[in-house]
Amino acid sequence: MDFEVTGARIFARIPTGIPFLGDFPITETLVVSWIVMAIITITCIVLTRNLRIENISKRQAFAEMLVETANNFVRSNTGGTRFDKLIPFVAALFATSVISNLISLIGLRSPTADLSTEAAWAIVVFIMITSTKIKAGGIGGYLKSFTQPIAVLTPFNILSELATPVSMACRHFGNILSGVVIDGLIYAALALASGALFGLLPGAVGDFLSKIPILAVGVPAVTGVYFDWFSGCMQAFIFSMLTIMYIANAAEE
Amino acid sequence: MGTQDLVTIVPWTFIAQICNLFIQMYLIKRFLFKPIGEILEKRKALADKEIREARESRAQADQLKDQYETSLADAHQEAARIISDAQREAQAKADELVQEAEQTATNLRKRAAADIEQERRRAINEAKDEIGGLAMDIAGKVVEKELNESDHRRLIDDFITRVGAAS
Repeated sequence: MDFEVTGARIFARIPTGIPFLGDFPITETLVVSWIVMAIITITCIVLTRNLRIENISKRQAFAEMLVETANNFVRSNTGGTRFDKLIPFVAALFATSVISNLISLIGLRSPTADLSTEAAWAIVVFIMITSTKIKAGGIGGYLKSFTQPIAVLTPFNILSELATPVSMACRHFGNILSGVVIDGLIYAALALASGALFGLLPGAVGDFLSKIPILAVGVPAVTGVYFDWFSGCMQAFIFSMLTIMYIANAAEE
Repeated sequence: MGTQDLVTIVPWTFIAQICNLFIQMYLIKRFLFKPIGEILEKRKALADKEIREARESRAQADQLKDQYETSLADAHQEAARIISDAQREAQAKADELVQEAEQTATNLRKRAAADIEQERRRAINEAKDEIGGLAMDIAGKVVEKELNESDHRRLIDDFITRVGAAS
């Protein structure tokens, strides 16, 4: 039995003629990302239909709760309303991450199982951190902060600065990819096991049943609670939390 | 249809995902945060307005209460004043009536006294005339001498005066 974990499929290539970047590949990652965006946006639109001031519906209460949660999340982690501009960004990051992670439950490939996605997010966060630092301390203060506490540490400081986006991207990607790999392994192992188990039955019945991975019904749902649900939500939360903390810290320096 | 490597960064996907993130941010802002923020703002404004109105109407009610209390006190004072006025007036009227009655009584008494006096005088004069006539008749008969009328009268008067003085 072969078992293989592959990268995202490439559906089409649009020739761009731009050197270095090459053709634009329409990958599974992008397509599923658009589906995720559509889901989030449609949910937002549905939740905010018929808004009323008094006597609100459960739908509206839920939408208000989401907004309040996002506000509280950012405000409690930054200790004030200074970073209110970041709330939609963090909310978008969290929502996209969560939905991307969980969309694997309906059989689609998570966009977050592609390092390009996390790298893109981490770079955006890194640029925000850096610009916040420069805004807080000026360009001189920013450069000087690398030589603190002593000049010898400069290479290490640069390394640690660069490690931030790399670690953020790789942490998220690694967790989701491990979920994909383990889910794949479990499915493959269960198919193998049920094949072996029902192959014990004699005659044509055994041949027929052994081809159906009967054991794959049910068991992955249990393991999926951790590898898909918990890990998916946790990584989204960690990524958003780190974004907020890094930016808040950057402003304090 | 090929697949990309399992762990790789595809430049175009990378760029597209950055754009997607910002588009998603805009969409969430536009379709979730903006309407909900507006509605929360409106609700806050409404609550503030209601509190303010309640406060205003309470102030108004307090003012009205004060006004009523003041006017009630005024009314009490007015009533007391009217009563005391009425009492004073009644007293004055009573006094006046008593005085008038006394006056009338005094007048009556005076007039009665005057009448009595007048009556006495008239009786005295009549008696005088009677006595004079009688005396003249008696004297005429006694003296048989006709005195002239005026001497006669004078003599009688002298007599009466002397009689009056003697009595």
